[in-house]
Amino acid sequence: MAKGQLALVLNAHLPFVRHPEHPRFLEERWLFEALSETYLPLLRLFRRLEADAVPFRLTMTVSPTLASMLGDKLLGERYAAYLETQLRLASAEEERLGSDPVFGPVVRLYSALYREDREDFETLYGRDVLGGLDFFYKKGRIDLITTGATHAFLPLYADSPEAVSAQIEAAMVAHRRAFGKHPAGFWLPQLGWHPMLADALRAYNVQYTVVTTRGALLGSPTPHRGSFAPVQCPSGLTVFVRDAAATKAVWSESEGYPADPVYRDFYRDIGFDLPLEYLAPYLEEDRARIFTGLKYWAITGSTADKQPYDPAAALVRVREHAANFLAERSAAAERAAPHMDRAPLMVCPYDAELFGHGWFEGIHWLESLFRQAEEFPLGIVSLSEYLRAYPESQVSMPEFSSWGDGGYAEVWLDGSNDWTYRHTFKAVERMTELAERFPDESGLRERILNQAGREVVLSMCSDWSLLMRAGKASSFARRQVEDSISNFGKLYDMLCSNTVGTEWLTRLEKRNNIFPDLNYRIFRKKR
Amino acid sequence: MTSPLFLSQNASVNSEKLDSLSLEALYALADKMGLDLPTGLERLFVMEEILDALAEDSEDRRSSSDEALLVEEKKYSGSESDSLDLRIDDSPQLERRYNETMIRALVRDPSWAFAYWDLSDAEKSSMLGDESAPPLFLRIIEVDREGGELKHGHFDIPVSLEDLQWYINLPRSGIRFRIDLCSRRGVAAGSRIRILARSNLVDSPRQELRPGTEGIDRAGLRLLQLSGIGDMRIHTQILDNPIRITPPGMELQPGDSD
Repeated sequence: MAKGQLALVLNAHLPFVRHPEHPRFLEERWLFEALSETYLPLLRLFRRLEADAVPFRLTMTVSPTLASMLGDKLLGERYAAYLETQLRLASAEEERLGSDPVFGPVVRLYSALYREDREDFETLYGRDVLGGLDFFYKKGRIDLITTGATHAFLPLYADSPEAVSAQIEAAMVAHRRAFGKHPAGFWLPQLGWHPMLADALRAYNVQYTVVTTRGALLGSPTPHRGSFAPVQCPSGLTVFVRDAAATKAVWSESEGYPADPVYRDFYRDIGFDLPLEYLAPYLEEDRARIFTGLKYWAITGSTADKQPYDPAAALVRVREHAANFLAERSAAAERAAPHMDRAPLMVCPYDAELFGHGWFEGIHWLESLFRQAEEFPLGIVSLSEYLRAYPESQVSMPEFSSWGDGGYAEVWLDGSNDWTYRHTFKAVERMTELAERFPDESGLRERILNQAGREVVLSMCSDWSLLMRAGKASSFARRQVEDSISNFGKLYDMLCSNTVGTEWLTRLEKRNNIFPDLNYRIFRKKR
Repeated sequence: MTSPLFLSQNASVNSEKLDSLSLEALYALADKMGLDLPTGLERLFVMEEILDALAEDSEDRRSSSDEALLVEEKKYSGSESDSLDLRIDDSPQLERRYNETMIRALVRDPSWAFAYWDLSDAEKSSMLGDESAPPLFLRIIEVDREGGELKHGHFDIPVSLEDLQWYINLPRSGIRFRIDLCSRRGVAAGSRIRILARSNLVDSPRQELRPGTEGIDRAGLRLLQLSGIGDMRIHTQILDNPIRITPPGMELQPGDSD
């Protein structure tokens, strides 16, 4: 019997936030923080593993919205400025705490992080982070896949094939633009699956996707290999199944590795500890307190009496946790193997931003995992590799499911965000009407139609619904949906009344410059 | 991983923010947060109410079992965090409706569906002008795979002219249904029902293993166990929704529990 197979899948995604009309924009920091703590450190990890000839395989989504932002010149400039601010803050902190035997080493950790980020971003990659990822993609180390154009929660649009197709097709085009290849796999935003996606994804030559364990086990018929092998929909789409235990070990905020008391506390940040006057030069223009990224305390436990963060102790623990993860997966594979007719597979899908940003030591955990893997009876594979080895699987159709609370659509359809669907469905319906009415437009009218299509897909972003539900940045999230719908409304009216505000259109195209290749005809009726 | 220190830190940040607001702005903010405060309160009390509500909200969220949500939230840490959003911009920028008579159904989970609808201005004004205007109701109709109505497979929910949406408690999982927006003239057997709009067909997801699972061999059952099926709130047979609010006259037989 072949040894167990482990497939790590990272979903790198952030919603599209780009506001050239403001000199600085708070929510653009989401990208800057993820670049500093996750994306650039991940690339460094790949380089270290490559240099040491450590075999590693990873399946990774780069969402179209993230790819667009990573390739954007203006955001690149702003990120460079952000790094300079972070370096000045770290330097001020070194001056304040550098000689402190406890906090000095922690502060220097941040100085080193931001210096390396600047070196990589400016010198090594020439601000082209996508190029850095593409290098390992083309080398076959990572398998880059795509996801819904704006991460729409697709099960709620199951009744609108035009909406679903637009999300898939715009994503495919964006992926080919960024990486020059058709993606083999498709990450379901929020792991939101609906049976109608089996045909919809296959229609775009998608070979595989991933669903939750529960969604797969509730499938028809019940998969007889459980979560240890994928299933195949009647359309031919392969559906991999998330491993529940591996998810909990990393994902759980209460019981998972990231909750260990020795790790760095995410929430305790000098942005909330130090006097505003001191912090002011490093904050946004309104001088409101925000997370600066500099955090000096360990999780410690449910107490206000936090212990200082000890990076050396955290590194020891991270190696233990990586070994524990490998041991647990090996044991699970060993238990499953006698009942299997092929190597048991464990698929471990996570948000990429958990590693480094949410869980500071997460990048080291990944590194340790790849370096120690050979000591365990496990093979590390990408999903494409597995599929090449086992092209056939049991035919089964998974049930409607997601990774949200309750396992269905509760997070994306509740009292805080349900109002959005009236507008997004209407926008899709009107966009389809426009695409049918104007099938062969060119010139200015085509520009209006394409921009209208962009605004429709932007309005469908599931992150805004999630933020509204979470009560975080909810005004901002609501405003994003309102703006997209309102922009679409204006464009629709322009087309219906045959009046064009060219200046306004050009401004909008420059601001929402995502999906430059979007063709409005993707909204044509699916017959 | 709750950090009380974090909460108290934000409480002080929020205090700073609230301090900068006028009493009028504080009331507007309380209103935005859904707090129903009596008029004429001292500034300090209004601030206290707002901070209490925020702390409660925050704690609810952190004690939530929604791991995915908690992890996702960290991506957005540069933003408002747990602090107050002082923008008083609740008045919707968008029109709430599109002047058409329609209804759409969305399914949320095995127990709940959501419907939103509208009546065109013409339809609405004809109803408003008529003192004996017939009452509106939603008729939830269970259908078969081909869309044919099942005998006795419906129930009604009365709604008002002002309502534009409703969460509907479903009788059980795994059903296909549609929702008709209707009005009714007359009562009981002699009543005349007019269908104003008909929704799309939707399937409520299942939470039970598919029939035929008993045919899975021992190896398969072991793999299901090893996959963690025992922890996933998966039932072995179809249950009536135990928390369903049953409309009068539509009582359902209680189901077996697992």
